Amino acid sequence: MTDSPQEEGLVLNGLTKILGGRVIIDNLHLVVKKGEMVSLLGPSGCGKTTTLRMIAGFLIPDKGDIVLNGKDVTTIGPEKRPSAMVFQNYALWPHMTVFGNVAYPLKVRKLAKPEIEKRVHEALAMVNLMHHKDSRPGQISGGEQQRVALARALVQEPDILLLDEPLSNLDAKLRVKVREDIRDLQRRLGITTVIVTHDQDEALSISDRIAVMNNGKIEQFSTPQELYDRPETEYVANFIGSLNHIQGGFADGQVISGTEVVGIRPEDVHFSTEQVPGSYPATVQLVVPRGHFCEVYLKRADVELHAFISLDVPLAGTSGFVKINKALIYKDGKLVRVA
Amino acid sequence: MTSTKTDVVAEGLGAAKAPRLSVVGFLMALPPLLLVLFFVGLPVLIAFTFSLGFTTGPNRVLSMIGQEIHKKDQWWGTFSAYKDVIHDPRFAGDMRTTLAITFISTTLVLLMALGIGIYQRMIGGRLASVMTALTLVPLFVPVVIAAWAIHTFYAGDGFMRSFFSQFGIEFPTVTSTVSAIAIGTIWTSLPFAILMVTSGLQSIPDALIETAQDAGAGFIRIIRTVLIPLAITPIVIAGTFTAIGILGSFTIPLFLGPNQPTMLGVEISNFFGAYNRPQQSIVMAFIVFASASGIALIYIWANVRSAKQSGRI
Repeated sequence: MTDSPQEEGLVLNGLTKILGGRVIIDNLHLVVKKGEMVSLLGPSGCGKTTTLRMIAGFLIPDKGDIVLNGKDVTTIGPEKRPSAMVFQNYALWPHMTVFGNVAYPLKVRKLAKPEIEKRVHEALAMVNLMHHKDSRPGQISGGEQQRVALARALVQEPDILLLDEPLSNLDAKLRVKVREDIRDLQRRLGITTVIVTHDQDEALSISDRIAVMNNGKIEQFSTPQELYDRPETEYVANFIGSLNHIQGGFADGQVISGTEVVGIRPEDVHFSTEQVPGSYPATVQLVVPRGHFCEVYLKRADVELHAFISLDVPLAGTSGFVKINKALIYKDGKLVRVA
Repeated sequence: MTSTKTDVVAEGLGAAKAPRLSVVGFLMALPPLLLVLFFVGLPVLIAFTFSLGFTTGPNRVLSMIGQEIHKKDQWWGTFSAYKDVIHDPRFAGDMRTTLAITFISTTLVLLMALGIGIYQRMIGGRLASVMTALTLVPLFVPVVIAAWAIHTFYAGDGFMRSFFSQFGIEFPTVTSTVSAIAIGTIWTSLPFAILMVTSGLQSIPDALIETAQDAGAGFIRIIRTVLIPLAITPIVIAGTFTAIGILGSFTIPLFLGPNQPTMLGVEISNFFGAYNRPQQSIVMAFIVFASASGIALIYIWANVRSAKQSGRI
């Protein structure tokens, strides 16, 4: 799908970056719509932070263009680029108060004092931190520091907001809370946002679209649901969610011998004590409680599978029938069909 | 919870070990403490009583040999020797020279250290590393050797004058001037200041600088609002160490400076030896010490500030 130029917030066109003789980003193309929130998702070293730093202007690409709201910003330095970045470790200046940190970009722009105060107060109110405006960064919690960093970025009213693993330093509960705060703010302000993360849960829950990266390239750029339901490559299927990964072929609901790779999501494996059409006899080998569901290891004549079962969990040793509701078939790493 | 016999025995051993360990620790710390007390603290105390006119006891021999000795006329002593020194125009000139050189050299040393440090922090690269390495060379050259090198370089018959005379230019003789002292003190003080300032600047995380860039700040604003405030503690410590070192310098002003006015380190030596006025020389030493204490207060302030920022106090 191509977007009209008016809809394009950010366009990365054939970006290439070589660092230390190694190709880090390899001819990368990406179009982010205005007001969209896009995640760059991938393991460490896949090039997602390098891409973000090129968008921010901290790195100049060796090849390719970066177009922001229709304007080529490829060679513009970070200080002149209409973007604002939130760093992984918050990067708050410890010698300034919360107010001073948020006011800094406005002071740089030489705005009048009353205007600075008004906008800083608005930004701090937006992230619910007015009561901490005179505190130093060292006196507030990690989650609050992250919100200050966010306020400092938003106060600049940038064309694009860049978030570099913004939640990775927070504990699990706080991560969910700040994630929701970020999503809520982004939707309210309608600001184009690119977020870098290696956490698939984070990407799936926060993004309009996700670009899964591998070795400096985008493997797939889709909505979270598409990405989960129809991963275009074996790499994406393995990276997103859990997968039964079987070498062979697939026919009539059974795994057969073959040269393809069959990917079966554990939630697409259905166990029942009664036989239904397309199901085959199986035995429960092991049951591992995972909180609100159980991971059940099953053995069928053709294949061993694990399934996620939340209701009527069978005991180990139980005999029954297993039906595979959906299988993703890959050849040479690419999706060839969904059975 | 019930404590077993083993626990009780272990606790007993631990309780007995704790005071024993603290005694061992105290004994280990004692030799340097005693050394400072007896070989520095005590002579300072005796010298101070001598400056106040206590001329008996350990000060007896010195007061018999020295000239213009003031004896105490009150139970606490007398300030006559202090008045003597303060009203001496020679001392006034030396004091002015000492303070001026200390201030100018310290300022220049800090500016140069900041220049190199900021260049390495912001630009980096091989040239910056080579420059920093070169500026550390004076650290490995003994002061007396450096002083002679500077002397021969800038003397009336030195390299600079000889070189420029080839082109018909008369280069000024720098040796035996206050400027030569400044050059010498900068040469000797620069490496340490660079080490301190550079390490302070290098410890600032990249993200703090990049955030400022991202917020739109230019090079100068980043230096002014981020780099210097964040490295202020090592900068102040480098400044105080440099200033105290220059204030008490002796070899450089002796080899490179004029006879009058000169720095107080040389003058104290002259008063003690050549002029045989030990009481006045000690008074001068105390005045220098008082000045250095003022600088030391800034050092303490910087350390307290650093400790507060890092949450240690």
